[in-house]
Amino acid sequence: MATSRLRLFLYIIIAILLISAVSLYFFVNPSSEEIQLFPKCPFYSFTGLYCPGCGSQRAIHDILNGHFIEGLRHNYLFILLGFVLGYEALTFIRLTLFKKETYNVIHTSKFTIMVLVIVLVFWLLRNLPLYPFTELAP
Amino acid sequence: MENKPTRPNSYLALAIISTILCCLPAGIVSIIYSTKVNSLYEDGNYAEAERASKNAKTWGIVSVALALLIYIVIFAIYGIAIFAAIANGDF
Repeated sequence: MATSRLRLFLYIIIAILLISAVSLYFFVNPSSEEIQLFPKCPFYSFTGLYCPGCGSQRAIHDILNGHFIEGLRHNYLFILLGFVLGYEALTFIRLTLFKKETYNVIHTSKFTIMVLVIVLVFWLLRNLPLYPFTELAP
Repeated sequence: MENKPTRPNSYLALAIISTILCCLPAGIVSIIYSTKVNSLYEDGNYAEAERASKNAKTWGIVSVALALLIYIVIFAIYGIAIFAAIANGDF
């Protein structure tokens, strides 16, 4: 009983944090010069290199405001994130509402290894100062 | 027929979220453990897969919690700075 109440409490806190974060990122542009509210990536600050997550704050701001292409150009990994979350949500809905098992591609070793390789290669390539790869930089 | 235990959760979504949104190396570690969960399970090493699953979860949560902590500290500093500015009449 106590644990389920704790769980509910935790969910409410997460929901409040999510809603406030989403509204903050909707209204404030992280790349604006006047309001420097959001922290810079610590990895970038220390090393001067981009990490796989760099540009995600700008991407969230753009995507929330409906600029999908601009958002994705800040961080292409959002395509991967969207795919994984969408697939998991679809699997969950099919299981709970329609009682149907979905063959889950995400739970195969090939897919997870592919994700690891994509993230690492993306990380490497976005730091190269050559033309086609500069597109990957945030 | 061998009795197959259920596949442990690989926490891949959590791992990707922590890598993209928190940009900390812990996210990458979490993805590596997610990878191990699935390949160990497919090889039949169920106990090892279970352990990798726990590690993936731990590293994912550590990464998210660290990022959250950094955000809270920074917003607290900004909060104090804004209050100080208001108190000084700069706004």
